[in-house]
Formats: sequence, C-alpha cells, structure tokens
Amino acid sequence: MRFASMEYVKKMQEVLNSDEQHRRAAKGETDSYLLVLDPEPDKGVAERHIVGYSMVDGEVTEAWTGQRKTTFVLSAPYGVWVSILEGRLGPIAAMTTRRLKIRGNLLKLLSGSDSTLRMVELLRTIPTEFEGEYASVKLGQEAG
Amino acid sequence: METMKAAVFHGQGDLRVEERPVPEPGPGEALLRIKYCGICGSDLEAYRYGLYEPGIVIGHEIAAEVAAVGPGVAGLAPGDRVTSNDIVPCGECRYCRTGRVSICDAVTMPGVTCDGGFAEYMTVAARALYRLPDGVSDLQAALTDPSSNALHAVNRSGLRLGDRVLVIGAGPIGLLIVQAALLAGARRVFVAEMNETRRCLAREMGASEVINPEVDNLDLAVADLTEDQGADVVFCASGSPGAMASTFTLVRKGGVVVPVGICEQPVAADFLSLVMNELDYRGTYASYDEYGLALDLMAQGRWRTEPLVSAVIPLEQIVAEGFEVLLQPGAAAAKILVRP
Ligand SMILES: [Zn+2]
Ligand SMILES: [Zn+2]
Repeated sequence: MRFASMEYVKKMQEVLNSDEQHRRAAKGETDSYLLVLDPEPDKGVAERHIVGYSMVDGEVTEAWTGQRKTTFVLSAPYGVWVSILEGRLGPIAAMTTRRLKIRGNLLKLLSGSDSTLRMVELLRTIPTEFEGEYASVKLGQEAG
Repeated sequence: METMKAAVFHGQGDLRVEERPVPEPGPGEALLRIKYCGICGSDLEAYRYGLYEPGIVIGHEIAAEVAAVGPGVAGLAPGDRVTSNDIVPCGECRYCRTGRVSICDAVTMPGVTCDGGFAEYMTVAARALYRLPDGVSDLQAALTDPSSNALHAVNRSGLRLGDRVLVIGAGPIGLLIVQAALLAGARRVFVAEMNETRRCLAREMGASEVINPEVDNLDLAVADLTEDQGADVVFCASGSPGAMASTFTLVRKGGVVVPVGICEQPVAADFLSLVMNELDYRGTYASYDEYGLALDLMAQGRWRTEPLVSAVIPLEQIVAEGFEVLLQPGAAAAKILVRP
C-alpha cells in the first residue's frame, strides 16, 4: 500500500494495537502525533503528506491523514522517513540530531523511545510502496 | 462628609458597589474624578483567586479629570485631563535607580495595594499622573495602561527590525502587542487565538496570519510560515499552561520567548529545548516609562485602542456586565470600561 495513505495509517493502527510488545512499551502514553513528510520535488516527491494518530495508554485510538491539533509534530523530508523505515537511520538519532524536527516536549518523546523503536520495527512489516526515486525500496519483512 | 460610589473588593468572587467617603488629597496628591476605568486581566485574576487585600477599591486603568490638588502639588490644576501610572515607584531602590522601575522593591499600586479607580473619585500621587495630549480622548486614555504594558513587553523582548513574531492569545494585551511589535519593526506578526471575534480583532490590529489552534496545528502552521525555523520572538499572552508549554518549540533556535499571561497551573517546561536551542525566556511585568510613549503614539494617531473597547458599563453593573462576562469561558469581549 502507498506510504502515508489512509489505507496505510489504518494498517499502522492495526499492526501497533495487535502487537503485545508495543502495547507494553507504550503503556502510559497518552498523546497525539502528527508525522509530516515534506516533499522533495527533485526526487520525484511532489506533495507533502501528513498522517497522525492518537494514543490512549499505549493503544492507538485513532489514525488519520491531514493536519490537526496534536501534542507532537515530527517533520522531515520524505526521504528521511524512508531511511528510518529502511533501518539506515535510527529514529532516536534522527530526533536528537534534528534530521527529524520535533515540536513538542522532546524529552517526553525520547522517554518513550522503546515504543518508538518497536513501532519502526512493526512498520517495516507493512508492504509499502514509496514514491519517486524511493519506489525501489522494498519493505514487508517479519518483525524480530 | 461627602460620599461616592465605589467597587470594593471583599475577597474571592466578592466585589460590591458601596458608598464610601470621597477621599481627601494628602500632600503631593491629587483628587481625580474618574471618567473611565478599564477592567484589567489582573483584576479578573484577583477576583477569581482573591489576590488583593480585602477592603480596597480596585481598578487601575483610568482616564480622569483633576478635581482638586493637595498641598505641595505644582503644575496640575482642577479640570486637567489625566491618566495615572499604575505604578508609583519608591524612586530609591536599586531597581528604580537603574531604570527597572516595574520591579521596584517598594512599589505602591493604586487599585492593587491601595484604593483605585472603580469609583467616582480616587486620590493618587501627583507624580504618577500624565496630562492627556490634545486629541487623545478620555476613552482612548483609559487604555494607556494596557498599551504601556504591551509596549513594555515588546521592549523587554529586544525585538529587532525584520523579526517574525508569534503572539499566542488575542486578549487586550495580546492585541496591543501585535500593534507594538509592528511598530517595533516586526516583518510579520502571527496570532494564535481560539475565539473568532478576537481573531477578527487580531487581523484588524495588523496580524498577517491568524491561526485557530483548535483547527490548525499551530506548530506546523508556524513552521510553514517561517521556512521551518520557528518565530524569532514569541509572546505568550495566554494563561493556559498548554500554550506556555508549546512556546519551547514554536520559537526558533536562539529566539526569545516573553511570557505575558500568568499560568496558575504548573507548566511542563521543555528545558531540553531551552538548553539545546539557547532560548531566552524573559518575563515582563507592568511598565513604567512606556506610559508617555503610549500617549504620544495615540496623539500622533499611530496607536489604536478603540477597536478593543467592547463595552462601556455603569459602575453599578461592574460585576454582572463586567467581571462575570469577562470570566466566562471563551469570552469574546476584549476591554470593558466602567463609567462611574
Ligand atoms: Zn491593567
Ligand atoms: Zn523602587
């Protein structure tokens, strides 16, 4: 499915909620997140994509596309997100080095790093189609 | 003994209009006949939380006429139109001597620490008075105090020509800060406000973009308006802890945040961003010298206050049509003036 599509975020919600390890790691997290994938016209990504989800005590209660009010906003060019999903860039390093721009309380976000790491592992299992130059990247392997 | 009507503070949520003796001006004091007295955000806080001394007549945003002067007062005569600084400094402490008058060690504040202007008459030290320039109406002059406070907030921020500014909260102070920031040379002023009426006022005061943070993601909106940098200066004129907490990543690296509103609740401060981004947080309290500036700007037609006046009410209605209206959640009213 197409990265950051409605179908994708619904799948993300399902995958996160059905994983015991993620539920445990995210326990106590009640926040909402907006993930902004900024365009890279020179790499064939013409448009910005925005997805979001809200979590209540570790359970994803809602996932959507488009912008709305959230506790955190994480933004980066499309390719940075692809690198994270590919495993070429660690999500925590991406945050602390500002490759991923964070708006909201960074320390609070970093304190939930176990669930972030597990989330990335889980997203890797979703067969995902990327745009432009990233079309050749293939995901969809089993989570460890 | 002559008496007058005055709104007397009796504690939390208890303000009563009572008969009081008309005060006598002491040495160095003037007796003022009040034309208008504005209800300030700090009066609302005091009413809600009981922050003032019981028994005082509150109100400090005044436009008045001199009714009489006490012994030793030169240069003022009955009939002179005036406004009063809400700070009467000691003039001797280290802060007064270094120009930081708003944080004077031994300040007197009419309407806060002694009787003020929600009354037919009040007395005040003549040295705290400013004569109104011709062309400045009494109604305009009643907003000298909040205007001066807004100018002081911008002075405290160190705002520079070309800065992009975010103002969170478009109550009277937020709206006046928009105007002050533009005068100080802001390239653009963005305003975040949930109330529709106040958003319209923000546009009228010159905000280039007005954001409803309930509908639009404020972080994202500000990022988009600043090439992902964040605002150079953020004024937080909202008492919401969430709004205050959001300032840490709405401001650019090395930027300045000026908290103007007072949060009663603790704020989840993001000290990691404060340290890593070398942020400056600068408090601002009241004002002093900016009174003269505010009046001069009004006289020149470079400072607007009329759009902010949402109602003029009689003193008898100060609670029902004033305090209670402004304390309603989501109140749209900007400034309510009391006319004794
Ligand atoms: Zn005031
Ligand atoms: Zn002093």
